[in-house]
Amino acid sequence: MKAITLMVVACAVIAIVLFTAGCTQPAGQPTSSNVTLQKSSVSLVYMNPGQMPQLLATGQVDGYMAWQPFVSIADVSKIGTVVSYSQDLPPKQVWEDHSCDSLVARNDIVSAHPDMTNALSAVFVEATNYTRNNPDRAAEISADWLFGSSNLTYGNVTINSVDVEKASIPTIKFTNDPSDQWITSNDRFIGALKEIGFISGTLSNVTPNASHAMLYNFVPYNTANGMLATKTIVSPTTAPAKISIGYLLSDHDAPLFVAVKNWKYFLDNYGFALKPKVDTAGKVEQAELIVNNQKVADVQLVKGDGGPQLMTLLGSNTIDFAVAGTPPTIAAVDKGTPIKILFPVHTEGSGLVVTSKSSAKDWNSFIAWINERSASGKPVKIAVAPKGSIQDVQLEYALEQSGVAVTEAK
Amino acid sequence: MQLTIDNLTKEFTTDAGEHIVALSDINLEIRDSEFICLLGPSGCGKTTLLRIIGGLDQPSSGQVILDNQVITRPNPRMAMIFQEYSLYPWRNVLDNTAFGLELNGMSREERYAVAKRYLDLVGLTEFSQSFPYELSGGMRQRVAVVRALAVEPAVLLMDEPFGALDAQTRNKLQHDLVDIWEKTKKTILFVTHSVDEAVFLADRIVVLSPRPGRICENIPIEQPRPRDRTSVEFAQVRRHVLDLISLK
Amino acid sequence: MRWYLKIISPVLLLVAWEIAAIAVNNEFILPRVGSVFVVLLQPTKDILGSGSLLDNAIISLTRVVSGFLLGIVVAIPIGIGMGRVRWINDMVDPVIELIRPIPPIAWIPLALAWFKIGLASILFIIFIGSFFPVLLNTIDGVRRVNRTWIETAYMYGAKELQLLVKVIIPAAAPTIWTGIRVGFGIAWMSVVAAEMLPGTTSGLGYLIMYSYNFGQVQVIIAGMIVIGIIGLGIDIFLKEVERRKFRWQGLER
Repeated sequence: MKAITLMVVACAVIAIVLFTAGCTQPAGQPTSSNVTLQKSSVSLVYMNPGQMPQLLATGQVDGYMAWQPFVSIADVSKIGTVVSYSQDLPPKQVWEDHSCDSLVARNDIVSAHPDMTNALSAVFVEATNYTRNNPDRAAEISADWLFGSSNLTYGNVTINSVDVEKASIPTIKFTNDPSDQWITSNDRFIGALKEIGFISGTLSNVTPNASHAMLYNFVPYNTANGMLATKTIVSPTTAPAKISIGYLLSDHDAPLFVAVKNWKYFLDNYGFALKPKVDTAGKVEQAELIVNNQKVADVQLVKGDGGPQLMTLLGSNTIDFAVAGTPPTIAAVDKGTPIKILFPVHTEGSGLVVTSKSSAKDWNSFIAWINERSASGKPVKIAVAPKGSIQDVQLEYALEQSGVAVTEAK
Repeated sequence: MQLTIDNLTKEFTTDAGEHIVALSDINLEIRDSEFICLLGPSGCGKTTLLRIIGGLDQPSSGQVILDNQVITRPNPRMAMIFQEYSLYPWRNVLDNTAFGLELNGMSREERYAVAKRYLDLVGLTEFSQSFPYELSGGMRQRVAVVRALAVEPAVLLMDEPFGALDAQTRNKLQHDLVDIWEKTKKTILFVTHSVDEAVFLADRIVVLSPRPGRICENIPIEQPRPRDRTSVEFAQVRRHVLDLISLK
Repeated sequence: MRWYLKIISPVLLLVAWEIAAIAVNNEFILPRVGSVFVVLLQPTKDILGSGSLLDNAIISLTRVVSGFLLGIVVAIPIGIGMGRVRWINDMVDPVIELIRPIPPIAWIPLALAWFKIGLASILFIIFIGSFFPVLLNTIDGVRRVNRTWIETAYMYGAKELQLLVKVIIPAAAPTIWTGIRVGFGIAWMSVVAAEMLPGTTSGLGYLIMYSYNFGQVQVIIAGMIVIGIIGLGIDIFLKEVERRKFRWQGLER
């Protein structure tokens, strides 16, 4: 008898607890009764851009912020509407010329082989110039390298990768100049990374000027410019037998693709090139660094899955150079990885797209739409590149400036 | 051929710490071409004794001497036939029969010729390409016997070789074995717990008592061969042996 | 009659897939059977500049077979040693048991650090996947060789090497073969993991990951189907070899 009573009481207690829990609102969920007291909010979900177009088209997210060519994929396929490119995000002009991918190098390689580093830098500089001045050709090369110039299918929509690249390349600013705005944007990124706790080492307590000394080595860039101005490239006397350059799957790294695919142009006009060992279509893995018409070293081109992975490869001496984003580079330097940024390979070139079904066409209508959705209890959900990335930092900053709260989707 | 077992004892300690005396003071003289049956109930140590004679196990004290050579490991002049798992299932009958010859380095042609001769002896020539799994139990044991004969040992050690066969096959094989023995004049040491089998086969029955195994009887069987299982004389000998055993 | 039955479930699966795809009506969540088959039926067509299904399948297969053969060549002798010699087993076993539970994927960072970018690191991952099943089965097969078979050989004067070659290995062969079947299955599963290593630019695993990077779902599924079919095909082949060469297993006497 006693046992049964005990069980009944226990069940009752459990039932009451569950009932109460069920009736309690989880914190942060707007209900129709209290939305007018709260700010509008947006829910962010972090992931790699690869799946973003699918998720947008299936309505699982309402928009996404990613690097190219994912912005143009949405644009060309009409899965989404471009709200803003990264350099145009508010506050006005803050993000102009913002940093993105740069050429990063291991300190030991640079100090052991300065001439080779300078020559390689010269190759990059001219390749970047060419990319900027010949966007159509750069688009074709990027489409070939990344997609074999084939079609991309997103459900019922099929688009051609060359069309995507032709739309994407013009939105990226291909320059190697470490301008003041570029440096300031990096300072901002350091601040943001510190805030989320990604930086806790050597970069966390220094003045901006001190951090510049730790992050940048512009000597190869300046030397390369000098050599190019006088049209005299110093032939490297020493070089490793093989150098490895890591890169990412984005047309942000177009100058590298252009340097390799258009090697004849650079060889004819400058006597240097990154000549592929085998002239195939698609991406190239093995090439040769040629300076003043002499082969200097074998070059291995390594496709990376992301900035952090490239940093690990640099840190374990598996690769020597990388074309990678600045936030992971900053985080790696903070941890003590012996690398430095030589110069940017491009600036700008990311963007925010939303579903074509929304009323948003630019930033202001975007915010209006966010407010509307928040008010009706269905906050907008945006996919964004992983936490701490440029895209994430910019988007959150811009939203904050526009008075929108950010929640992270669990 | 002179095989002597001299003062042989075998004892050991089990995992549980028990001290077991398996064999105690075994003394035995075996003459050339004798057919000896080691008879006793299960667990009396007769298999242990056979294994020690064959060199697969070591005695605790005492010796096995074959023609002035002390036996401590397997010897090419002695061949053993087991009750089960005797043949190699992945080899056909011919390759099984030629196994011992193959180990000795005989060429394939030669050893196949020898093997075929012996298979003829037991009428299994047409099965030379068959595999053990295709043969009956009796046929397999016949192959085991000729495999042993093929290496021309002086002594055949047989551990209840027909124990897993049905009565009819068993009787037939006993008959065949006597035939082979008469033709080849090998010395045979045959372990069994069947009185009938021992009486049918042996020149001499050596009876072992249950643990610790001691020789308690040494019974010569003088009946001429082939012996008729149904005859009165056979029954008498059988009765005699049983009496002697049950007195212990 | 039996082969009818074996066809039924894949066909049912395809039908169910198509019905579900039509119901969901969303090519991203579940592409229609047709769109995946368009990819499958053009096995020689280049995909995203990364080679055709056929080319990549051959490359993956070559890698897996190489890594797997390496695994066998190392695992079987060690297994025989551990199965036959007690002290070898006692010495080596703790290390084996420690390493065995670690999945091939977890070895990727170390593989990169030790073997750098290239074929060697891929082969290493596949080697790790194949090694343990073959090793464990070899040890087991060798240990369980019937004592009578061994004693028979000793009685006929076999030396240790002869015993090994003429008795132990043939007797343990069926169990070792099972280890080989299982090991190959795991090695083939490791191919996607192995081809995730940076610097890889070919192979079915690579093709799947690359398509994933650009959201080409129908290629991903087509790649998965090809992996499944090849895995099945090889297992059928290995089973058939087992059936023929080890028919004698029916009898253990």
